[in-house]
Amino acid sequence: MSEALSYFFMSWTDPYLLFLTAAGTFAGIYIGAIPGLSVTMAVSILISFTFKWHVNEALALIAGIYLGGVYGGSRSAILLNIPGAPAAIATALDGYPLAQRGEAGVAIGLTTVVSVLGGFIGIIALAVAAPQLSKLSLLFAPRDYLLLAIWGILLVGSLSGESMAKGVFAGAVGVLLGMVGLDPLTAEGRFTFGSIQLTGGIPYVAAMIGFFGVAEVLVQLHHLGVTPVKQNVSKILPSWALMRKYLPLGLRCSSIGVVIGALPGAGGDIAALMAYDHAKRTTRNPSRPFGEGAYEGLVAPESANNAAVGGAYIPMLTLGIPGDAVTAVIIGALYIHGLKPGPMMLIETPHLFWFCVGNLTLANIFLLPMGLSGIRIFAKIVETPKPILLPLILVLSAVGTYAIQNNPVDIYWMLGFGVFGYFLKMYGFQVGPVILGIILGPLMDVSYRRAMISTGDDPLAFLGEFFTAPISAVLVVALAVTILSQTSLWRALTGRGGGAKAPAI
Amino acid sequence: MDASRPRVPGELVFALAMLVFGLTALWQAWRISGLSSWSAPGVMPMVAAAVMSASALVFLRNTLRSPKPEIPAGSSLARQFAHQVLPLPIVMFTALIVVYMLALEPLGFIISSFAFLAASMFTLGSRRIVFTLVISALSLAAIYLVFQTAFSVVLPEGVLRGVLR
Repeated sequence: MSEALSYFFMSWTDPYLLFLTAAGTFAGIYIGAIPGLSVTMAVSILISFTFKWHVNEALALIAGIYLGGVYGGSRSAILLNIPGAPAAIATALDGYPLAQRGEAGVAIGLTTVVSVLGGFIGIIALAVAAPQLSKLSLLFAPRDYLLLAIWGILLVGSLSGESMAKGVFAGAVGVLLGMVGLDPLTAEGRFTFGSIQLTGGIPYVAAMIGFFGVAEVLVQLHHLGVTPVKQNVSKILPSWALMRKYLPLGLRCSSIGVVIGALPGAGGDIAALMAYDHAKRTTRNPSRPFGEGAYEGLVAPESANNAAVGGAYIPMLTLGIPGDAVTAVIIGALYIHGLKPGPMMLIETPHLFWFCVGNLTLANIFLLPMGLSGIRIFAKIVETPKPILLPLILVLSAVGTYAIQNNPVDIYWMLGFGVFGYFLKMYGFQVGPVILGIILGPLMDVSYRRAMISTGDDPLAFLGEFFTAPISAVLVVALAVTILSQTSLWRALTGRGGGAKAPAI
Repeated sequence: MDASRPRVPGELVFALAMLVFGLTALWQAWRISGLSSWSAPGVMPMVAAAVMSASALVFLRNTLRSPKPEIPAGSSLARQFAHQVLPLPIVMFTALIVVYMLALEPLGFIISSFAFLAASMFTLGSRRIVFTLVISALSLAAIYLVFQTAFSVVLPEGVLRGVLR
């Protein structure tokens, strides 16, 4: 226990780690707030820069950026009606009307407080649930990992795109890309077309930066002419009465956020939409009608999306299965640092777990003062014109891709995936499932074959185990419910007003 | 949602291309090991490729059912495609990226990145010449310093080999 505590406080006492966490949180707020820069994009670019660092330093920076970025999106949503990040789509619905009434200061203050509240709920859930889940995960058989991986891809595919078919397609493309290279069990080449380069597999950092960085930049080129409106902000700290009033709603929505975040694949953006929907259905007398500047409409999504961060760490640290697109990228980072995310990680490297928990807590504490200050300067930075911003993102993407193995060929991969991702986005596909597929594809492949081999290549026995083993049976039911409820869930998610588009992961 | 939205120009061709992509992948996956056993290396690739092909078929069917793209009088499908999907800034920007990638190694990071930043900022409509050049130089200096020192990334030096450091 004392050891766990010492790892918990490691980033609090080491000045360098403390600095990295603060810098990450600070940078995250701005990255999240600037429309066109996403947390996923920033984290994927940063991974290649930090791979020479010690893993703790990389994780400290990334945790700060992740938590700060999920929060930061709310600022531009409130001030400019442009959600800086997908997780802030629901925030804009009531935040911008508040700003139009001249209450932007209060809106930002309230958002900051409930974001920090949600963040803490998420971290507590992570600290309590992950060790338990980790014990349970030792009972998971290979077929259960197969089910979890399929469930994750289906969840993100069905909830975030235009249609389930498109989500499934994107997921399958990712799985296929993930299997290029030497087969991990027999060392046979798969989809290598006789190329030695391809036996090492697709350079997945190049793929991540391509899909999240380059493709997004290309899509943003459609909105070059959009000029943001200037805003005034004065009073920021919300009153105690206001905070007390919304505490119960904040707590309820935080728990929604934790659960959604912990589901494989579904992250803060979906959690925020679900929480907004929950608030809309359960609040009898909102401060103003929803969509016209209701405080409830800010509290719900903002507490939920920050709670989802802690939630998303749960499956990542216990099962090696990403809770959302950002954790999918972090898993990639852990692999690069020679760690194997999975059920053994908590047992073999418990310090890493407590380090992550302590680090997230620290980043969350930083969020409060940083969120309540610097709003005036902020308004200037967010107004950076796109013709300046987009080329810079591209240079960062190129450097990030190049840095990973000093190989210019990787930059071609990056551009290729970027252009492919651009067309996918233009025709209503999401790129999130592709990245989940690339990360989960090899896991699915190996899990499936271990499960099949363990039954002696008997497909009937293989199928039978899905229903006779208790954990598998539960997962099969969850999978079936996801597929069946997809149509009604979909309607519930898209039926909201404001013309909010489907969240892009 | 799919059925009510008119097709984006080129969507039908894209759907067909994705179906071909899926089927080609299926054929390539079959060539890995065929169906020699249930746990052969090629089974999961075949499953993934089959799922791809099947969902591409659904996508194609939905696209065929949705209304044709709206084409204003005097325009053509090709023009609408260029207008909605591949407008000139995107084509030019992508072309600049390709030139940048090709120049990165021979010219080195600093020269090629500066040229790329300035050229693409102009292309995307930044009209203040001095401002654009200064912003390019300053941001490039910041990127270079941060990544050389904090992240110790080795960037291609190109023609400036030996000049710096």
